[in-house]
Amino acid sequence: MASEPGPAGLLTMLDSSTRRACLVCLLGLVALGCSKKGAPQTPASNGERPPSVYTVNYPLAYFAERLAPEGVEVVFPAPPEVDPAFWKPTPDAIGQYQRADLILLNGAGYARWTRTATLPKSRLVTTADGCRDTFLRTGDTMTHQHGPDGDHAHEGAAFTTWLDMRLALCQASRVRDSLIELAPESKHSIETNFEALTHDLTQLDTRLRGAAKAWGDQPMLASHPVYQYLADACGLRIESTHFEPGEALTPKDIQDLDSLLEQHPAKVMLWEAQPLPDTEQTLGDRGITVVVFDPAAQPPANGDFLTVMTGNATRLACATGGETCR
Amino acid sequence: MKDSLYLAWRYLHHHRAKTLLLVLSLTVFLGLPLVMRAMSAVIQQSLMARAESTPLLLGKKGSSLDLVVEALYFQPKGIEALTAADADEVDATGLALAIPMRTGLLAQQFPLVGTSLDYFAFRGLESANGRALATLGECVIGAEVAATLGLKPGDPMLTSPSTLFDLAGVYPLRLHVVGTLKPSYGPDDRAVFVDVKTAWVAEGLGHGHQDLATASGDVVLKRTDGTATANAKLVQYSEITDANVDSFHFHGDPSSHPLSAIIVVPADDKAGVLLRGRFVNDSARQLLRPAQVVEGLNAQIFRFERVLQIIVWTVGLATALMFVLVMVLSWRLRADELRTMTRLGCSRWKAVQIMGAEVFLMVGTSVALAAFFGFVIAHYGETWLQNLVLRGS
Repeated sequence: MASEPGPAGLLTMLDSSTRRACLVCLLGLVALGCSKKGAPQTPASNGERPPSVYTVNYPLAYFAERLAPEGVEVVFPAPPEVDPAFWKPTPDAIGQYQRADLILLNGAGYARWTRTATLPKSRLVTTADGCRDTFLRTGDTMTHQHGPDGDHAHEGAAFTTWLDMRLALCQASRVRDSLIELAPESKHSIETNFEALTHDLTQLDTRLRGAAKAWGDQPMLASHPVYQYLADACGLRIESTHFEPGEALTPKDIQDLDSLLEQHPAKVMLWEAQPLPDTEQTLGDRGITVVVFDPAAQPPANGDFLTVMTGNATRLACATGGETCR
Repeated sequence: MKDSLYLAWRYLHHHRAKTLLLVLSLTVFLGLPLVMRAMSAVIQQSLMARAESTPLLLGKKGSSLDLVVEALYFQPKGIEALTAADADEVDATGLALAIPMRTGLLAQQFPLVGTSLDYFAFRGLESANGRALATLGECVIGAEVAATLGLKPGDPMLTSPSTLFDLAGVYPLRLHVVGTLKPSYGPDDRAVFVDVKTAWVAEGLGHGHQDLATASGDVVLKRTDGTATANAKLVQYSEITDANVDSFHFHGDPSSHPLSAIIVVPADDKAGVLLRGRFVNDSARQLLRPAQVVEGLNAQIFRFERVLQIIVWTVGLATALMFVLVMVLSWRLRADELRTMTRLGCSRWKAVQIMGAEVFLMVGTSVALAAFFGFVIAHYGETWLQNLVLRGS
């Protein structure tokens, strides 16, 4: 009988304990099937790690560091050898930004990679937005047409906004507001820190305006088109070239410079970093004084944003006669 | 009892065709209501769960059901589009988080959903392999898409051309799969997620091409100071790579770019009420609670189910009568057989036990089969059932 196939055979084969075990398995399967499926419907949490603030340039990192309460980690992840405005972060680096609790963007088209990167909108703060009615243009606009859509232009906005100290202060105020939102319990300390930063930036602004005032309407040159906001804020007449501090001037560069000087007879030229001695000599031969004005997009080897800007103001004031040279 | 069951089994085994026919008839009779009940419960439950987990949905005025179906279940309904400015407007209130949703396109027959990173956290979607979206041209695929197409991080995926017969239309965009999601047992499993900007590129609102400043003469028709006009030879990119990503740009005002809907996640209940108040008198847009809309849909499903139940029970009654008839006729035909059994010493009661065991085995098998199908439908047919209902609506 036990060797018979089919249900009867099975019934005969199974003793009572085996039947009980099967029943328990069946009930277990049913219970498993009835249990709630799917992923949890709650937003992802950042766990226990300290709040982090990621920035796209050093000035914003400096503002955040000055204002943030203890325990907030401020990170500016761009490698030191690249200009953060043109940096292309790896997917891993973008992943770090995505995990940040607050992402501080500069605005005005700074850090082009942010236009094509996927960043969490809820944690993005564009600090320069709303600080000016319109941003200055670089003048490198190319209008073009292809297909039936008509003309369109890839306009470039000037993005070194923080060289206008009032704009920098406005950006810092955005940093303050977002930090208060991130750590509301530290509102008082953030506001106290902001007052100190306001004082420092206002002093810098006064010195830069003083230096520019002493120079008056006289023309000035710049090695790169990065001083638009400084010029706009202080009323300086700056024409820009595209010279690199670490590269020697080519004959064509010198020819272009001479043509520019005919239209724009400048006696002072702003450089992002100290140019090569030969370059300084060439400029000196034309009666041009080199003034290093570091935009401080990257952290300096020594000091911080404030010391770099103070140095810039001192050198500019010395060159323009706004202050006695030390 | 065991021997009665054995004899019954031998009889049924001998008359396999008749037994199979009767078991199948009974399975259908018993299974249909069970399957219907399971289907209805699953659909209502899963539709409701997703709708309830979506606090508010902003869309253009029109069919609220179409809006919910397209934005939550990714079934294209051709709803009118909002603009990115509407999402900015919600964000600017400070009352809620706006999650943009761009739907309507397909990628290899699966819905292409343009959204922001906030969507993944909002739905609690977890990565199974690879990483999150990082840049333009990348996609993260749901578990079912990955399983069906056999895709993994690093593989390419094409968007379906939106204008099949329009030669001047938008060509497919080659996406890069960078991650797959764990199963969530919902519409997200069969979606291809991209950044909303990538969705705009896929539908032709943004593009990348050769740099006109350095393009050769046979591409540029006219070049004046600050202006260049290119001819049709200008190479437009159909794939976004590290090398050309910077050339991608959008025409027109970015705030005018279309969004199918916006998932609005209020900071708290009060913020939700305030927001709803702001849109009450809006003539062009509607801010609705998806749960309310789905409740309406469920009510329709319930009404339909009632009608079906009446039909099923009528058919079932006919099947049951047929079963009884078959059994009675069968016993009549087996009168000689029963008489022989009695002569061999089998009691009348034993004969009844054997007949009863036959009925028990057939009905038992039918119940087991019906329960099995009901269980399978209820637990593994959720997405399939959702699609069946939503596509038809």
